[in-house]
Amino acid sequence: MTDRIPKSDKDLWRSLALDGSPSSAAVSDIDFAAWLEGRLPHAEAARVDAAVARDPELRACAIELAEILGKPLPPAPPRLVVRAQALVGFAAERSGDRTSRTWFTSLLSPFGVWQRGVMAGLAVVVAAVGFAMGGGLGESFAVRQYASVEDSTALLQPFGTNAPTQLNDLFTDNI
Amino acid sequence: MTELGQIDLRSLAAGHKRTWDEFVQAASPLIHAVVRRAIASYRQSEDDVLDASQDVFVRLCANDFRLLKTYDPARAGLSTWLAVVARSAAIDFVRRRRQATTAIDDIPEAALAVEDRHIEKLKIPDGLLTERQTVILKFLYDEERDVSEIAQLLKIDAQTVRSTHHKALLRLREHFREDDP
Repeated sequence: MTDRIPKSDKDLWRSLALDGSPSSAAVSDIDFAAWLEGRLPHAEAARVDAAVARDPELRACAIELAEILGKPLPPAPPRLVVRAQALVGFAAERSGDRTSRTWFTSLLSPFGVWQRGVMAGLAVVVAAVGFAMGGGLGESFAVRQYASVEDSTALLQPFGTNAPTQLNDLFTDNI
Repeated sequence: MTELGQIDLRSLAAGHKRTWDEFVQAASPLIHAVVRRAIASYRQSEDDVLDASQDVFVRLCANDFRLLKTYDPARAGLSTWLAVVARSAAIDFVRRRRQATTAIDDIPEAALAVEDRHIEKLKIPDGLLTERQTVILKFLYDEERDVSEIAQLLKIDAQTVRSTHHKALLRLREHFREDDP
């Protein structure tokens, strides 16, 4: 059954005009959405009612959205989905990476102070050991050089450092 | 496929690519339908519908998701809010296009209509009708919607619409009868 109002009522209404300007009240998107869902408290709903009554654009919006919302909709063209998805891309990912790094850094930060101390201590130990090893190597190098000089002298003196005495012993008939 | 109600809004507003992709998948049918319906009377091409729909997504993510961050889930559902935003963006889109290029023949007649100012209308004084009564009479007579449509639109019973209408007309008749000489 369709409820059509008697023509006389309609004629009466159309002979009347609302007082006040149509743009007297601005309605935000979120308020209008809440009004469409019937979630506004009475006072706020009355304010939106007044705006809707005065603004044919808001009435058209309400009618159109009531026809669409809560009903099954056909899928959007894939071209739209691809283009819209491309709006947020690598830049956002990079900022996401920055966020991860920040998260990682913040995770370490409570330990940062003593960690830096430990690292400095380790660096000192490594430097000291390195210095000591460097000295040790120098010493062994000197020993090795000395040994090589000693070896070459031995080659030049096949009879040892006491060779003249030994030769004299050979040619002197003390036997 | 993820539904709109399942979208992680914090992650979305933080610009996470995966969440944005899920959001686009979930919101595209609604946004496309709203835009198509909103600009239907302007005889726009399918490419224009796509461009206007794309414009909605651009608005949502522009300036570090500023518009998206204004959404308050405690006040209204995401679908309803998106539909309101999409319709408003679509109308803006068409107006920008029309300002740039449209021939007068392409503008709907309703948009060009000028009210006949020779007809003197009686003013309804402020406070005579409640805002709810006024909006119901507007939908009934100016928009020519029937009671069940209005009830669905305002999320109230059809009987409430009828009684509100009845009381409003009684007030009007009473007021203007008193005013008759």
